[in-house]
Amino acid sequence: MERNLQSASFRDPSGFLFDRAGHLYRQVNQSYRKHFDYMIDSGLYDALVAQRLIVPHKKVEGVDFPDPESAYKVIEPEIVDFISYPYEWSFLQLRGAALTTLRLARVALDHGMILKDASAYNLQFHEGHWTLIDTLSFEIYEEGLPWVAYKQFCQHFLAPLALMAYRDQRVNLMSRLFIDGIPLGLAAGLLPPRTKVNFGLLTHIHLHARSQKRYADRAVSKQQVKGKVSQQGLFGLLDSLRNTVKGLSVRIGNTAWANYYGETNYSAEAFEEKKAIVSAFIDRVKPGRVWDLGANTGEFSRLASEKGIFTIAFDVDPGAVSQNYIRVRKEGEKNLLPLVMDLTNPSPGLGWGHAERESLMARGPVPLVLALALIHHMAISNNVPLRKLAEFFSQVCEYLVIEFVPKSDSQVQRLLQSREDIFEDYSISGFEAAFQEYFSIIEKKAVIGSERILYLMETIR
Amino acid sequence: MKISVLLRPLMYLDPGTGSFIIQMILAGFLGIAVAVKIYWKKIVAFIKRDKTGKVQDELDNLDEYGGEQDSESPEKKG
Repeated sequence: MERNLQSASFRDPSGFLFDRAGHLYRQVNQSYRKHFDYMIDSGLYDALVAQRLIVPHKKVEGVDFPDPESAYKVIEPEIVDFISYPYEWSFLQLRGAALTTLRLARVALDHGMILKDASAYNLQFHEGHWTLIDTLSFEIYEEGLPWVAYKQFCQHFLAPLALMAYRDQRVNLMSRLFIDGIPLGLAAGLLPPRTKVNFGLLTHIHLHARSQKRYADRAVSKQQVKGKVSQQGLFGLLDSLRNTVKGLSVRIGNTAWANYYGETNYSAEAFEEKKAIVSAFIDRVKPGRVWDLGANTGEFSRLASEKGIFTIAFDVDPGAVSQNYIRVRKEGEKNLLPLVMDLTNPSPGLGWGHAERESLMARGPVPLVLALALIHHMAISNNVPLRKLAEFFSQVCEYLVIEFVPKSDSQVQRLLQSREDIFEDYSISGFEAAFQEYFSIIEKKAVIGSERILYLMETIR
Repeated sequence: MKISVLLRPLMYLDPGTGSFIIQMILAGFLGIAVAVKIYWKKIVAFIKRDKTGKVQDELDNLDEYGGEQDSESPEKKG
């Protein structure tokens, strides 16, 4: 009955996730028994947990197997606060996940096992570290066999990273279209010819794609490939992939928003005042988790995360998200997750039955949303009526901290400069009327030294 | 390299024939390359002895966001 509640795990014959009484469990199937026991007995599991490379689990007694015929045991993995997807990561995040995947593969080989999946969806940024969330990703290594996940690694990581590095960071959104990673033939065609002089990209993408095409109509059995790839060869392959990934980079900091705080309408004083107001609102709500929508580099997200609240800082600009992520890594921040998200077109439900990857809204709601210096972009640049905005926010949160930016504000004037002002309702009274259909206003505070107003609102249920 | 390819794709994650074949070819010389690299590192380490290399490596690793790893290198195997 509860089978496949987590519809992302149904393809794996080794086991599956299920949900019972608010707990998340994973059934390990009999067919995976010897691999599971080997992972524990060889010390691989302990080594990975010690290095925070895998999410720890507890053994569980007394939970009925959802599928007793195939069951070996049930484990309870530590809960990850939020499942994010590769198309929501900035370049540096995908790069971090790629290097972690290669590291997992190397540590596994050191323990006589091999990483059988190299799916980017199996990694999550959890408490400040990239962590494998699928405990059943390892198989006993058989000497001589090639790495079964090589193609998947190239599709899920190398191809999008190379496209971002050599073309445009926004190309990462292509991963939304291709749920099993970007086909290598496609990536090879889109990459500039000069990538053929990069040894790693030449071999792992261009020649790899050509080889796939050439042998597309042939099938191969385990027996036929056995003995063809030595363990030393696998180490060489992993090392080469690692060097290739490490050789890729993008420019950070030259994007539209990255300098935003340098040129806002806030004096240093008003900026501090705004922070104090938002901080007081957060204290008043005491939320368990926060989404900061339009977070830029996460200046205000940290008001929540530094109070120990798990906070997601969403922004449309990959450059701002990268800067935020760099700060998270440098400071070792554990409660902040920066993600790329275009709120005018947020992540949809994807894959089989639209259920393998959840939409943004399906991953909510949250107790508190921050929407600071955001609504004029939605309402004016993007023509979303204020009522629609209020409706959206009421669906994703219980409490809302929202900033109203009036028309007289120079930022809004800038947005209006290039277009006709068709926004008659865009005024304090229009804003309040629209939002009061969905929210009750708890508190309203003007930011001294600016024309902006901050509201704390509660959704009407 | 002569590779006979026929029938039975029976693995859970089908890696595609072409992916296997390119991997066999690459693994052949990359395996040698990584071995050479390890010995080269050993020679360099022997000549340099301790000096400042270790601190520098640690700093480099800190600078590589997401790439903080690599205490675990293939040479442990050899």
